[in-house]
Parts: sequence; structure tokens; C-alpha cells
Amino acid sequence: MTALLELTNISRSFGAIKALKSVDFEINSGEVMGLVGENGAGKSSLVKIISGFDDGYTGSLRLNGVVQRFSSPLKAERSGIAIAQQELSLIPAMTVAENVFISGEKAPIFATKSSLARKAAPFLSEVGLEDVDPFLPVERLSIGEQQLVEVARLLAQEPQVLILDEPTAALGESDSIRILGMVRRLAERGKSIIYVSHRMDEIFKICNRITVLRDGQSQEAKDAKRLDVSSLVELMLGRELAHMFPAHPKIPRGEALLEVHNVWPDGTLEPFNFSVFAGEILGLAGQLGSGSGDILAAIAGAKRSREGRIKYKGESFLPKSPKHAISRGIAYCSDDRKLDGLFLGRPIVENLSAPALSAISKRGLIKHDKERSLALSNASKFTIDTSRLDNEAGVLSGGNQQKVALGKWLAIEPNVILVNEPTRGVDVGARAEIYGKLRELANEGAAVIFASTDIQEITGLADRVISFYRGMQVGELQLTEINPASVLEQITHPFGVDDKQPEPHH
Amino acid sequence: MDKIKNWIVKKPDLSFAILLAICVYSYFAFTNDFFATQRTGYAIMERFAVLGLVGLALTLCIIAGEIDLSIGSNAALAAVIVVRFTDSLGAVTALLLAISVSTLIGAIQGYFIAYLRVRAIVLTVGTLMLLRGVALFAAEEKTVMLTDFRVPDFISMKVLTFFSPASLLVIAMFIVVGLFMSFTRYGREIYAIGGARKEATAAGIDIKRPMIIVFAISGLCAGLGGCIIGLRSGTAQALGLQYLLLAGTVAAFIGGVSILGGKGGVFGAAIGTLTVNFLNTGLVFNVTPAFMIQLYLGILLMIVIMFQTGSRLFEDSQRRRQLLSDVDLRRLDLLIRKQKYQKPP
Amino acid sequence: MSNISSYFSSKIDSLADNYSALVLGLVVLFFAVFIFGMVTAPNFLTYFNLKTIVRDAALVGIMAIGLTFVTLSGNFFLLSLKETAALAIIAFATSMSAGYGFEISFLFTIVIAMLTGSAQGVLIGLGGNPIVVTLGAAGLLYGLGAYWSDNLVVSFRRPHGAEWLGTGSFLGLPNITIAFILIAIAAELTLRFTNFGRQVYLIGANRAAGRATGHENFGMAIKTCTIASVCAAFVAIAFSAQVSSAQVNYFSSEFGSSGDMTIMVIATVMVGGNSIMGGYGSTIRSSLGAVFISSVDNMMVLHGFNSGPRVLAVGLMIVFSIMVFALVRRGSRSQE
Repeated sequence: MTALLELTNISRSFGAIKALKSVDFEINSGEVMGLVGENGAGKSSLVKIISGFDDGYTGSLRLNGVVQRFSSPLKAERSGIAIAQQELSLIPAMTVAENVFISGEKAPIFATKSSLARKAAPFLSEVGLEDVDPFLPVERLSIGEQQLVEVARLLAQEPQVLILDEPTAALGESDSIRILGMVRRLAERGKSIIYVSHRMDEIFKICNRITVLRDGQSQEAKDAKRLDVSSLVELMLGRELAHMFPAHPKIPRGEALLEVHNVWPDGTLEPFNFSVFAGEILGLAGQLGSGSGDILAAIAGAKRSREGRIKYKGESFLPKSPKHAISRGIAYCSDDRKLDGLFLGRPIVENLSAPALSAISKRGLIKHDKERSLALSNASKFTIDTSRLDNEAGVLSGGNQQKVALGKWLAIEPNVILVNEPTRGVDVGARAEIYGKLRELANEGAAVIFASTDIQEITGLADRVISFYRGMQVGELQLTEINPASVLEQITHPFGVDDKQPEPHH
Repeated sequence: MDKIKNWIVKKPDLSFAILLAICVYSYFAFTNDFFATQRTGYAIMERFAVLGLVGLALTLCIIAGEIDLSIGSNAALAAVIVVRFTDSLGAVTALLLAISVSTLIGAIQGYFIAYLRVRAIVLTVGTLMLLRGVALFAAEEKTVMLTDFRVPDFISMKVLTFFSPASLLVIAMFIVVGLFMSFTRYGREIYAIGGARKEATAAGIDIKRPMIIVFAISGLCAGLGGCIIGLRSGTAQALGLQYLLLAGTVAAFIGGVSILGGKGGVFGAAIGTLTVNFLNTGLVFNVTPAFMIQLYLGILLMIVIMFQTGSRLFEDSQRRRQLLSDVDLRRLDLLIRKQKYQKPP
Repeated sequence: MSNISSYFSSKIDSLADNYSALVLGLVVLFFAVFIFGMVTAPNFLTYFNLKTIVRDAALVGIMAIGLTFVTLSGNFFLLSLKETAALAIIAFATSMSAGYGFEISFLFTIVIAMLTGSAQGVLIGLGGNPIVVTLGAAGLLYGLGAYWSDNLVVSFRRPHGAEWLGTGSFLGLPNITIAFILIAIAAELTLRFTNFGRQVYLIGANRAAGRATGHENFGMAIKTCTIASVCAAFVAIAFSAQVSSAQVNYFSSEFGSSGDMTIMVIATVMVGGNSIMGGYGSTIRSSLGAVFISSVDNMMVLHGFNSGPRVLAVGLMIVFSIMVFALVRRGSRSQE
């Protein structure tokens, strides 16, 4: 039978970067298709094309046998393809029912809260929310329930194909089970679901087939029953990129530079405890929502914690603000450089000196020559092009922006460097440079702690790994124990995968 | 009794607004013999006719996350048009002309704000000036006057003791707009783009439509208000009516609208306007000079803001508590699983 | 994964880009007309007239310079500058008429402005919305000023200690003009060469990144609000010196050729090309904006236009400059 949705020979390039190379993808009606792959493998590009957010591709997309090209997400939705994004699109102050019908063609023009509640009821029960009061403002629901309302909103437009992008990323156990149950029910009713996820246990529980993307290329979809975790991992990770990572040091490590005692960041499930040593690069491995990034922010004073202390330089405290942490020589770079890592509209020079204004000024006056020499030296240390330091930071490429976001911290001569996703959105060449620089900083006596969802990065860069899962600290791996499989296991199914086979579908 | 308590908790800002209104009214009613009379009631409603419209318009704009600084100029332009053309076209036609112009101006502003993605506060600073210039042109730089002052008297006829055609029309507008905001999809869109614009665009709402609607209504209200003033007094000045912006904004905030957008309602706008009217009228009765009235208004605004800030802080702490308890629930699930896994086989 | 909102905005961007050529064309035409008008106006390019232009721009200009600090740091606008000036003028005149002399009266007034400015800054720094806070403050300040003076005129006899500021001149330039120029220079130097100035730009460009690098908005809000209030007070003092009196409503309604001082000051900051979101612009721009608006108005007066077309022209200028700067800034934003 012909597939419901069929993509053939899809290629997409952004300038010099080839995001997708001749990718084939298909899904039948009533099927749950898992879409897996490493970060940067092309999942997001493919999904954008299917859902109408991107029409700059070559190749063909066939829906029900008819060639289509969606010039906007609205058009895709009208044709019956809907996507539930990671970023929530619910209006917090409005009720559940109002949110279900806030947009889309099938939303009624005249409606009371009660009539909306009635109309929304079937869709809410389809996602398993029949017991939720449809008159509650969605902000009162748990994150899991909000996720389900989001899907209900999409279902109200009666799509044929539903794309779920990391739907359980921020969810707990029971909420994830609800999502899986919903997916199963929808498939039974004939809907097609593209399930994009890193969670191995879930993939095997509900997917009929699995498509693996690797380096922008696709492979033929595999039957989920015929795969197991290790073979899937092998397909995902492929060959190692040689020489991207600097060598691990053979010298014995120094004393503990920073000790984390019972620090419990808001939103995580338990307090965290670990230490980091001078000269060490410690990797915090974990998927989205695991807490690996939260603990970094908490140590840096950028996120609130319920309790806990860090022992650092003889002091025992918890930084109350980034200013506080910076004054102690703790540098923190978040995972979103556009949000708070860069001053995009300001010149690169100013970006590089921002954390250490007092170092380049005397009695309140900025010494521009000092600033420039500091900028030049830090820029060259991070291999940033020094000829155009007066340009706005916004004109730089992703890799160079990340180098500026990281490099500016050299100005405070930090002892502890905390980085969340050190190479997000960075090309291969710049990645190697960043890794090299981090290694250098560690070798000079600093302690580097980085959090990453990229397994290659974790295995290549870290001297030691601490793993996180759904807001809990679940394991530690010493240098000899670190390999892609062991890391993946700890961050996706530390408590084992259920032996139960996935339920059979058509 | 419980129902009332629940309602108060659900809508603290509105409840506070009603409380304020009652307090202000009672204060003046008890301290001044002339206050709680029929004539005063009529005077208050007449004031309400104009200020209510402006308060309604600004409430809608603030709910949508924007503001219309040009509302005073738009109203003045409408006043000039209606007074100028009543002699030649008759009051009703002149009224319709003025209102069409003001509504169109509003709609165009809404269009540009959405299309160019410019913040309303920025654009309306310019249009405030621009419309003043247009009004000056239309009035040919002088104060326009009617030749026959009795022509528009009908709009101030006393109806049902307290009301007049003008105030009844405004009350009808309140009802229509209120129904629109609460019971139609377009009204909900306006709330959505105000309180959660990023999420609203992510959900697929195109901000053009709600923005044009909001500013068209604002233009309509400005125009109608300007016409009422113009017809009532029989004169119009191109540079007048600038006080409407401040008075309307204060009325909107007192009525419980939130500067963050997405919260508030038409009923609140009415209450806020009434409160401001009570205060105004009461103070005038007590022979308070105009600047003191402004001072009291400022104080009233401060009180409302402090209350709103307080309730927002309270909500934030509630939300944090919710987040933490949510975490605790998930914790239980997973810790059980962790323990099961680590149990010796 | 994909960012839906950035998708929509990129679609609108491309639409706006199609308009931008049109708008830019209109604007060029508009300014060409103005330049033509300026060149053909009788006596426009005389030294005396140019001096008049700058002098007329001085008072609004100084206030705009103060407000620019607030805008650049990302704290939007203060709607209370007119009322700060109203309170300040009463304070100054009351002190002068009580015989305290210029120096003491000056200090007294400035201190009052610093207090009211920092109070507003604290509220804004704690997270209060600048529009709402200053709206309320405006009412309070005006009321205070009116209450203090019983809403009457306060005058002090000539000659008085402030003559030099109000009506004096130096080397052929009115002292108020010199003050404008000096303040403009001092403000620009502060922004470019001091730590504080740099922080203004950083916090304005990205408040979150500012916080992440150790620069909090709380202190900044207080400082910038204080600066703006002090500038307003200075303007009040200068004006009072000119007319040797004060009344709380001197700055209301019909001050200046185009009315409402609050709006004119905000418009000046915008016409100069400062980004309302902060992080981009300068006080020189605001000064030039003031001079430009003043020269357009002056040119029209020389041509014999009434207030109608003049106000219209100022309005058009504001609207156009808003559109132009918004489009230009959007066009130069990086692609990622």
C-alpha cells in the first residue's frame, strides 16, 4: 500500500551546511514512526519541512499520493499535518477548553466557556484528560497535563499526521505513561504519529517502525520488534569523528576545587552532590529535563535552589546572583547564547570585556586601549577573527558567536568554568577549537564542568561523567568506563527497559 | 456566601475595584448632602458617557498588551469634524462622518502596528502629534462653533432619571464590546496576544486581526466620545481633550487591568470609570481645586498599583509552590522506580 | 527544534522589506522637501536664526538628553518629567523669593529632583513597569507642586542671582544654549568613556546578558531616573530664571510650539533614532533630534505657516522616523 505521507530525496542546505542529504521518509496511516538521531543529525530540519515551517528544500513530499508543498504551517495544518513543539503554545491565563480552540479553522466564532468545554470534551478524553476540569486555567495544570492539552488543541483541527517533538522531555514517569497511552490510542484510531525522541524505552514501547537519521542522511525504516537498544545506538552514532577531541591528561588530578553539597535547584527532583577537581573536565550527561543544566545554573547563582551549599576557596555558600559568582571567579555560560550569552547589538570588543569592566577601567573611566588589548588577546586565544572586533556580535556565525560567548569569561580569569551545551549550533571546525581551549584552561589549573545532551561530546571531552535522568543524579563514570553505550544507557534507561514487548499494531 | 468568596479569590483585581468604587461613593455620600441625589447621578452618568468610552478603549488596548496614546487627539479631531459639519449635514450625519473617520484612523494604526511589528506606544506618540495637526487643519486653527446650539440638545435629554441618549448609547457599547470580548473567538485572540504574545503566535494566531480590531474600537470610542463632547458643548478645539488619555488610563488601571496584558475586562473598565467619576464629582462638590483632584487620582492609582503588585507577587509564590509540589509528586514516582531497580535481585 | 515565532516574524520581515524600499523612498522625498523649504525660507541660514533654532531646542533638548539615558538602558520612558519640572520650578522660585539666593536654591531644587528620581528608579528597578510607575508619580508630583504653591504664581524680583542663566549670554550665545551644548557634550562623553556609560548600553542591549555578566538593572534604573529628573529640574530652573517666576502649570499644554512637553521630549528621543528597546543610540542623537525638530518648525514659521501645518509636520516627522529606524534596524539584524 502507498504510504500516507512520503518524502523522497529531500535535501536541504543552509549556506555551506548540508542539513539533509537525499533523505527518504515515509509513514503509513495508523502507524507510530519513531524518528531518532543525534543532535545535528537533521531531525529538526526534516520535521520543519513536514510541518510547513520550511519550504526551501529540494525533493518531493507526497500526502495521500498527491505532491504537496507547504508554504506555511497554516497550509500544512489545513492539509492535515500538525506538530506539537517543545515550546509551549498555551495561553496560561485561559482555561483548558479555551486553549483547545484558541486557533485553527475549526475554532468556533461564538462560544461561551461552557460551550467550548462541551466541544473540547471529546478531544480532551482522546488525550486522557477526561478527568481534568475544562474550566481550570491551564497554568494550574502540571506540565504533563499542559503537554496533553497542547496535543488536544492539535487534535481539534482533526489532523491525519501528528508530529510529537520530544513530548516527554520535561515530564515525570506517570505523565510520560499517559502520553504513551494517548499515542497508542490515537494510532488505533487511524492517526499517524511521528514520534521524535531520545528516550529509548519509550521508542521501543510504542513505535511500529523507527527511522534513524545520521549526519543528515536517512536509512530505511526498521521494524521496532527486530531492533534492540544496542543495535539502535550503533545505527545512531555511526563512526567516530576522529581528532576532534584533545587528549585526556595523564597527570594525576589536583585537590577538589569545588564541592557541591546537597544543592537542590528548583524544578529538579533531588539534591545533587559531587565534586570537581583542578585540572579536570567534568561532563554532566543527561537529556532535556534531566537537571544537568539546572545544577550548573544553580552553582552560578543564575537559578534558585531550595537548599544546598558549595564549598569553594575555603568558603561555604550558595551564590545569590551571577554577580556574586563572578566576583568569586566562577564563570557560567548558559545554553542559550542569544538569550543571555551575547550582546548581539553591541560590538564584539564590548562583549569580550563585559564581565570584567572593572579590570579595564580606572576610577570609573574606561581605558579603551586596555580594553582592546584584552579583547585582542582573548579573541586570539579562542581563535576569533581579530580584524573585525568592532563589528556587532550579531553578524558573526554561530560558531564564532559561541566562541565570543565563552571567550568573554577569560576576562575574569576564572577558576571554575561552567558551560551548558558548549557547542550548540556550532560547526565542526569551531567545535574542535572550543574543545581544545577548554582542555587548555583545565590544564592550566581551572576546573571545567560542562553539561551536554550530545553523547559524542560527553564521551570525547569529559575526564569523568556524572549522569542525570529526569531530575535525578543517577550515576558516575570514570575515564575508563566512558563510552557512548554506557553513557546512553545511564541517561535514557538507568533503571532498565521493561522487558515487555511493544504492543502489536496493524 | 461561599460563592461570593470564591469569586473574590478568582478575580482579586476586579473585587478590589468594586470595593474601591463603593468606598469612594460612600465617603462622598456621607460627607456631602448633595452627592447622593438624582441630579448628581445624572451628572455622573453624563461624565461617564465620555470617560467611559475612553476607559473602555484603553482597557482593550492594555489587555492586548499595547496602548493608544493618540486617543485624545483622535477624539479632538472627531469633535472638530462633528461641530463643523452639523450645520451643513445635520447632527446625525456629521456624527456618522466623524465616527467613520476616527474608526478608520484607529484601524490603520492597528494595521501598521501589526504589520511593521512596531510597538503601539512608539507609533501612537507620532500619531498623537499627527492627528493634532490634522485637527488644526480641519478647524482652520480656530475654535469651531455651532450656529444653533439647540440642535444637539437631544443627546442630553434626561431619560429614566439618570440617563440620556448619550449615556445609554455608551452603556450599550459596553455591553456589546463586553459580549464580544467574552464570547467570541476574536475577543479571546485579543486576550491571548496581550498576555502571552509569544505563545499566541506559536499557536498560530495572526496578530494582524486582533490588533486592527482593538485599535478600530479605540478609534470608534475616541470618535464617539469626541462627538458627544462636541455636540454637548457646541464647540470644539483642535488641541483639546488631551486629559482624556490620562483619565482613561487611570480608570483602566483602577478597573483592574494589568500592564502585562491579558487580564481585565469590560466590566472592570466600567467600575474604574465610575470610581474616577465619583472621585471627580465628589471632590468638585467639596470645592477642591483641579490640581488636588489630580493628586488624589495619582494616589488612587498608586494604591491600585500596590495592590496589583502585591497580588502578583502572591501569585508568583503560589506558582513556585505549585512547581515545587509538582516536583515532589514526580519524585515519588521515580524514587520508587529507582529503589526497585537497585534492590538486590 | 524550530522556533515558531521566529518563523512568523521572518515572513513579516520579508513583507516589510518590500515596503521598506517604498517607505525609504517616501522619506527621502519628505526630507528633500524639508531641505528645499529650509533653503528657500527667508533668513533661514542667518547666524541669528540658527542661534534661535538652537536656543528654542535647548530646553526640550536637555530634558531629552536626560530621558535618553533611561531609554538607552532599556527602561523605556519616564512619563513624569514634565511634572518633575513643575515641582522643581516651584521649589526653585519659592526658594528664590524667600531670599536664599541662586546657589542654595539651585542645590535645593536639584536635591529634590534627585530624591524624586531615585524613588521612581527604585520602583522601576524592583520590576515596576516604567509607564505605570511614572504615570502615578506624575500625578503625585504635580499635585505636590500645586499644593506647595497653592496653585498660585510665585515670583521673585529682578535682578536676581539667576539672571545669567535665564537671560544672560556669553560670546554672543545665550547661556542657555551654552548649557545645552555643554550638557550634550558631557552626556556623550559619559556614555562613551565611563564604566557607567558602558553599563547603560550593555543592560539596554540585553538585560539578561547584563545580569549574567554581573550588571544588574536595579542600580541602573535608579541612576538613569535620577539623571533624567535632574535634567528636568535644570530646565525648570533655567525657564524660571528667564521669566523670573513660576507656576505649576507652566509646562503644561502649550509649552513650546507644538505642545505637550512630555510628548515632545519622548518624540525627540525617538526622532533622533534611539531604539526604544534600549542598547542602541546616543545622547548626541537626541540633541540633534531636538535641533532638527526645532529647525523644521522654525523653517515653517519663516514661511508663514500656522500652527496646524507645523504640528502636522512634526507628527509626520515622528511617524516617519519611527518607521525608518525600525525598518533599518530590522534589515541589519543578523541571520542565524
